[in-house]
Amino acid sequence: MTHLVQAITLGLLIGGVYALMASGLTLIFGVMRIINIAQGAFLVLVAMLTWWLWHETGIDPILASVVTTPLMFGFGWVVYRLMISRIRGSSASMSVLLTFGFALVIEGVLNVVAGNKFRSATPSYFEESFRVGEISLPKAQVFGFLAAMAVLGALYFVLTRTWTGRAIRAATQNPSGAALVGVGATGTAALAFAIGSATTGVGGSILSVLYPFFPASHYDWISRLLGIVVLGGMGSLPGALAGAAILGLAETLTATYGSLGWSTLVFYVVIMAVLLIRPQGLFGAKLREDAV
Amino acid sequence: MTASSPGQSEILAESAPRVTRRRGRGWRTAAVAVVAVCAATALSACGQRPSEIAKSDTGKPIVVGISLPLTGDFAQPGTEAKRGYEVWRDMVNAKGGILGRQVQLKITDDASNQDTVVADYTKLITQDKVDLLLGTFSSLLNYPASAVAEKNGMVFVEPAGGAPKMFERGFKYLFFAQPATAPHQADVFIDWIKSLPEADRPKTAAYPSQDDPFAHPVVESMQKQLEALGVQTVYSSLYPADTTNFQSVASTLASKKPDLIAQGAVFEDGVGLVRALKQLDYSPKILFQTSAPSNAGQYSDGIGPANTEGVFYTVSWNEKASTPLNAEFVAGYKKAYSADPAEDAADAFAAAQVLQAAAEKVGSIDQDKIRDWLHANTVDTILGPLSWEATGEPKGRFLLAQWQSGKVEVVGPADVATTKNVVNPKPGWK
Repeated sequence: MTHLVQAITLGLLIGGVYALMASGLTLIFGVMRIINIAQGAFLVLVAMLTWWLWHETGIDPILASVVTTPLMFGFGWVVYRLMISRIRGSSASMSVLLTFGFALVIEGVLNVVAGNKFRSATPSYFEESFRVGEISLPKAQVFGFLAAMAVLGALYFVLTRTWTGRAIRAATQNPSGAALVGVGATGTAALAFAIGSATTGVGGSILSVLYPFFPASHYDWISRLLGIVVLGGMGSLPGALAGAAILGLAETLTATYGSLGWSTLVFYVVIMAVLLIRPQGLFGAKLREDAV
Repeated sequence: MTASSPGQSEILAESAPRVTRRRGRGWRTAAVAVVAVCAATALSACGQRPSEIAKSDTGKPIVVGISLPLTGDFAQPGTEAKRGYEVWRDMVNAKGGILGRQVQLKITDDASNQDTVVADYTKLITQDKVDLLLGTFSSLLNYPASAVAEKNGMVFVEPAGGAPKMFERGFKYLFFAQPATAPHQADVFIDWIKSLPEADRPKTAAYPSQDDPFAHPVVESMQKQLEALGVQTVYSSLYPADTTNFQSVASTLASKKPDLIAQGAVFEDGVGLVRALKQLDYSPKILFQTSAPSNAGQYSDGIGPANTEGVFYTVSWNEKASTPLNAEFVAGYKKAYSADPAEDAADAFAAAQVLQAAAEKVGSIDQDKIRDWLHANTVDTILGPLSWEATGEPKGRFLLAQWQSGKVEVVGPADVATTKNVVNPKPGWK
């Protein structure tokens, strides 16, 4: 029983962090139908930046996201204006090519500037745990989870309670309708891309504490995030949350009761099963274009 | 660290550089086309073996062709290997070269990709007509690359590719320039366990391992040998390379309380498991990890310097070892790169030493003579003496290393140990 509770708690904690990492990807896809393959590279970029800030100043890595989040917002905005906007209206495969290329550029630059070695930020609490009865909750995971939930909550609030958020959602649901009532497509898209990039500010800082990383780590992360987003439904924030929780639980439960070797497989089997029954993913909205 | 890279596993290597694969195919197509043209026209020196050409131009430098993973998953060890080769080149050239000829390296980047490495070596042999070859990094890449060399009758001394399947093909030109292959790397650790009084030996053991051609055979063979000694196995599992969360494994381990945890760890997984064990506050009496702890600075940064105390691993090379030329190698490396040399660089250096020794002994770069000489003789390298079975499998033994007070000491075998003191049992986490 303790084993089960422990596995579920750990799965949910890590799922929360996955959800935050996937939220930017799903938001960007929702608004622009752009699959940002560079999202994983953004995460590693932030992790590297966070590590450097932590290493130089001793600032808490998760708190460092106060600095990295606005930076990534600006970075995302510039990237959108300079690169992504050029392929608006092209097919989705163009965005995959472009952002994959950009991911390789980031990896290459990190290789040259930061060097090709593993790093990990190790604040004092990185390997301590809270004990609740028989259950142990690793502090780093708990802080990461709380930060992730705070950001996801804020994101949800912005999307549902502010005019900016409504504009973004309008552009997601019906781009031409939104344009008709005066929602500027380019501005909204740039904003959504910037917000999507900004989520990696916190995501990357948590990554730097939880896992050792090096420039090529982004391949692992983007494949995991794409899995989550596809399972949850592309473009859906609650979907990302559900997909991430399922991935987290699949990992820990399979590892506890089966073998670690199966945990990745189990997650993809769940994806396949869901896609057979609901091709749009758990929370994905069926668009008119999909039916054609 | 030797292990670290093949380590990154086939899954990773398969998935990551997918884009480069396309380029790889292109290269290969080009190479195949070139070969086809040569065959068709039966012209020129295209089909000549490098050694045949080399005889005529003794004044020219000896060109050594190498393809290395300088980008992609194995970029880190690949870059270290490049440094090892370059330190060797500079040392050899400063002493007048090989057979009176200066040495030139021709290094290409295979992007950690199997297709590209094949194209690279094909091009080095058939187009660039290099005089000698040296191997690339990881079993994953050396496996296909050595087949190209074998087909072309070129000696292939490789610094890092100890997976057992490398030596199951009956190759005659392949030589692995490390003291032992994966299944024999832990032998020196077993010897240490055997040296303990019966009562002090571990009673129970757990063997988590990454599904990796280099890490897994080490703990698999250790498990067999320890079971024969009567150590009870309480846990054994295999996890894929992309596993990042080790809390579940750690909590299972904590509940089984093994005396010994022996992990087939590449790098991230080694750090991940230690962190998770620390979070659960379970510290085994003996902790052995295959290659993660050999990444000196990165390992101690990852788990915290205090937590390294007492961790065992086996390794092919140590900075302090009193092997011939080792001090010169360390000094040369530090001077060139203002950093401490990594094991991967030392392995590459040793591979080059092997080739150099053979060429100098036979007095030419005739590939068949070099091959025959290597099969019959022992070469002194910075890793210690190396000799080979007919399959290219080495016959030596690894060093048993242990983290002590934030530094790495060699604790076995006794004749090369840097200290007599062994930390046992491992203290609890700090």
